Amino acid sequence: MSTIALIAGNDLRRQFVQPLAWSLLALVGALFAWQFLVAVDAFLQAAPKLAARANAPGVTDLVAVPLLRNAAAVLLLVVPLVTMQSLVGERRAQTLPLLLAADVGSLRIVLGKFLAAFAVVALVVLIAAAMPLSLAAGTALDLGRLLTACAGMLLFAGTLTAIGIACSAWTTHPALAAAATLVIGSVLVMLDIGARLRDIDHALINWLAMSSHLEPFLRGVFDSSALVYFVVVSALALLLAARRLDTLRTRG
Amino acid sequence: MSTSAPALVLAGVCRRLGGRTIVEGLDLAVARGRVLGLLGVNGAGKSTTLRMIAGLLAPGSGTVRVDGIDLAERDGHARRAIGYLPEEPPLYGELSVSEYLAFCARLHGVERAHVGAAVERAIERCGLGEMRRRLCGLLSKGYRQRTGIAQAIVHEPTLVVLDEPAAGLDPVQALRLRELVRSLGEAHAVVLSTHALADVVASCDEVAILHRGRLRHSGALAALDDDRWLRVRTVQAVGADDWARLDLVAEARVLDATSARLRLREGSAAEALAPALAALGWGLVELRPEHGALENLFVAIAAEEDAAGKAA
Repeated sequence: MSTIALIAGNDLRRQFVQPLAWSLLALVGALFAWQFLVAVDAFLQAAPKLAARANAPGVTDLVAVPLLRNAAAVLLLVVPLVTMQSLVGERRAQTLPLLLAADVGSLRIVLGKFLAAFAVVALVVLIAAAMPLSLAAGTALDLGRLLTACAGMLLFAGTLTAIGIACSAWTTHPALAAAATLVIGSVLVMLDIGARLRDIDHALINWLAMSSHLEPFLRGVFDSSALVYFVVVSALALLLAARRLDTLRTRG
Repeated sequence: MSTSAPALVLAGVCRRLGGRTIVEGLDLAVARGRVLGLLGVNGAGKSTTLRMIAGLLAPGSGTVRVDGIDLAERDGHARRAIGYLPEEPPLYGELSVSEYLAFCARLHGVERAHVGAAVERAIERCGLGEMRRRLCGLLSKGYRQRTGIAQAIVHEPTLVVLDEPAAGLDPVQALRLRELVRSLGEAHAVVLSTHALADVVASCDEVAILHRGRLRHSGALAALDDDRWLRVRTVQAVGADDWARLDLVAEARVLDATSARLRLREGSAAEALAPALAALGWGLVELRPEHGALENLFVAIAAEEDAAGKAA
């Protein structure tokens, strides 16, 4: 575990002495803040009408969850930028031999890289969640639902990050890794939507689609089968990345 | 840890890459306290050999043993007993030299409590004191190589593997690096790959010449100098017949009117040649050992193989 933490810590330190991580977090924070203020403004305008209705949706339904749903779309773009340098960057900078020559297994290297990238991606989710949470000072929030939605978003972000790490291990250029992560992530997210447009409602396609597993969490349901899905896809991606490093050791 | 076993033993090591044989039937051994120079022209298989020694590449067949342990057993001790500097030093440009070395020390299993001392020792041995706070990305080529060597020795390995450490350095930097490699040989077994003969002559105890993936020569560097030639330059023009008339000289090869290469007869001493030449009044201006045996051997191996290749 200590080697994984060491590699993760080193990667994180290197990410935060460069402007990319800071700029990315600042820009994403600004985007979320704008979306949040627009949603709050819309909610305040609709509040008198909502007050007159029984079982009217609250601020959690109309501000917090839509903001997190938008954050999921933003993650599709942010994750490739965070993960694209991970392993392919080490190969291009010719620093990978340092890790491969040390007494560190391929999976440990991959897990270290994953944790470092996930820490940055998780910050994006936390920034998105912090804005609606700030409303708790002035109004009643459905904290249970908000926390469940955050857990779902973290699982979603983790799975995208693992896919990004795998793409970074199997490609030879950071831009290619980013493009592959974006395409695979987008396909997995929109798989069921595309199928429905073609009037196909197949259980397997729906199960494969990442969005169908994120949705229960956004509704406040902690879906254990969705948890298994996210964990399995992440594990597969990370094992594929480790497999690539093993291949580099044996085949050069 | 076995202390009696040589630090490094390669036995029958072969490796193919991309359908081509890169290294074939390689046998080598290096003891602690010795510096082995692995010589070869570009494409001879030096870097592939070093990558196998460093555990970065598995041999197709044969074994690589470090401290008596086969690297294929993935034993942690064997890996930690190796320090490796690839052709391009694996530096993280965003970290300072001391931060980078601390990371390398931890990565190679140095306990947290001992990291500071290990880093200081490596910085001192590699002459990086003034650079400890400098970002690796801002170092000059010479200091990049030194930092690369520091990361290879920070965990006090038994075996230090250096791939072309002097490549691209200016003459002064190259000289300092040779001194550093020489000093490493006092405490570690060192394998140094290069195609520069001067690096081997200045730094190594032993030499192995690789050509087209095969080991063509292996032995102590001193043994090559037994049959040494002398380089002589005079003011007067001296012909081959004049040199042949000298009793001390077994063989003479005239290079130009005033220069020649001489091999002395068995039992003749070089110091006897100077007074003999002075007595002849030829105007002796230079007399020095040639150290050309290694160069001659290296060139002969390359030429022989090239001739065989053309004949085929």
